[in-house]
Amino acid sequence: MSSWYTQCDNNDVIITSRIRLARNLSGVPFGTRLTDEQKKQINERVREAICDSNTPYAKTLKYIDMNDVPENECYAMMERHIISPEFAQNKENKAILISDDESICVMIGEEDHIRIQVLHSGLDLHKAYDIAERIDTFLGEKLNFAFSEKLGYLTECPTNLGTGLRASVMLHLPLLESTREISAIADSVSKIGFTVRGIYGESSESQASLYQLSNQITLGISEKDALKNLEAITTQIIDKELSLRETARGVALEDKVCRAYGILKNARIISSKEMMNLVSMIKLGVGMGIINIDNTLPMRILIECQPNMLMRKYGSLDAHERDVKRAQTIRTLLE
Amino acid sequence: MKCENCGVNNATTHIKKVINGVVTEQYLCQSCYAKKGYGANSLAGMLASVFGDTTNEFLSPTAKKCDECGCTFSDIVNFGKVGCSKCYETFYDELLPYLKRIHSSITHVGKIPNRAPLSILDTKNELETLRSRLNDAVLKEEFEVAAELRDKIREIERKEDENE
Repeated sequence: MSSWYTQCDNNDVIITSRIRLARNLSGVPFGTRLTDEQKKQINERVREAICDSNTPYAKTLKYIDMNDVPENECYAMMERHIISPEFAQNKENKAILISDDESICVMIGEEDHIRIQVLHSGLDLHKAYDIAERIDTFLGEKLNFAFSEKLGYLTECPTNLGTGLRASVMLHLPLLESTREISAIADSVSKIGFTVRGIYGESSESQASLYQLSNQITLGISEKDALKNLEAITTQIIDKELSLRETARGVALEDKVCRAYGILKNARIISSKEMMNLVSMIKLGVGMGIINIDNTLPMRILIECQPNMLMRKYGSLDAHERDVKRAQTIRTLLE
Repeated sequence: MKCENCGVNNATTHIKKVINGVVTEQYLCQSCYAKKGYGANSLAGMLASVFGDTTNEFLSPTAKKCDECGCTFSDIVNFGKVGCSKCYETFYDELLPYLKRIHSSITHVGKIPNRAPLSILDTKNELETLRSRLNDAVLKEEFEVAAELRDKIREIERKEDENE
């Protein structure tokens, strides 16, 4: 089965919907204070709960000890948004349970003992949540989760207390970015408990005009309401972006899109940053019907041409070799 | 270097602002930095703004420790992270002002694990059902029904408070 980034409908402003549930085992310190021995024990308890069960989860979720995963592959997983940058940077004694299509990934040994992540392309928050919730219920029956009546699920960082739910959408907002309206939006959503960040999560910069919008408040709001609110704000942001696109429609914008397409189709050396900016333009062009290419291509190029994704395919490469391979991969994809 | 704002603590942060080409610089301690609204998203910054300078009171050798992980409140402040689930009981009062600031309320209303005691499950389920019916009633503008539901919710919450 193929990963999310090969199935994106690039006509859409929204790219992915992601659900993450944070859970901790009762009676064990939180992630940062764990000894190596405790980390291994937690990995084993979660592995056992899933893999030794007589359920479909045992078949769909494959256990991977991160100690066995080479560093490059680990960063390539981060580039595919399957694991968080924090998880990739310090993979020692961590583990994951992952589905074939990589849409489900249970991270074990993050800041919280267990983080259940479900990633779907398009706007699909409720379905993604249902899947995460079922895994959570299943695990919750086997393992004793740290929970308090007042504060809900207990987490290492108090910002996740309560539902432990972080729901986020990845959005492509080139027009809101170029008109600088995105900072005003970020400001106003922050006042109602939401946050706008770059694509690789916390404190990362925006690249390719991609932004993540997610809920901040997890205590005192039910999962259902948090999702409903996120969906409502997402729809408003999408409408705003689309209306700005219509205002900007014209030969000047067409020229920018077609130039970007021309470079991507012909360049022989291309850096990661340049690729991101140009792909953002052709993604906009696809969305507005300016260029007519297979609409799954922009996100495929964007993810498959990340540095570690290229090395995963072609082996170890220095920066220059990567830029050459990147240009070659893009040309082949756009042929 | 001492903090330019309070003149007491050591400055830990250098802030440089450029407004209309005019450059201003300031050296602040952690507490004043947070009080001025910088770094509002960091736990350490926010805790400092709620409690003032935490370095003296919580660093004393007699400071309260969590039985389970040995964490003190100053560890939590400095680290920005809680040690274990027991810490939430041990430092509940200390954490409360901070929790109020980041979350809309300090009472969990979401999912409850199946392993939670039955008494919690019953009341929580009832409350959740009532709250969701209240939302629906408001959306449908059935205000009489909504008022009735609201009173029921208040009644349950009042009983819960009495039991605590």
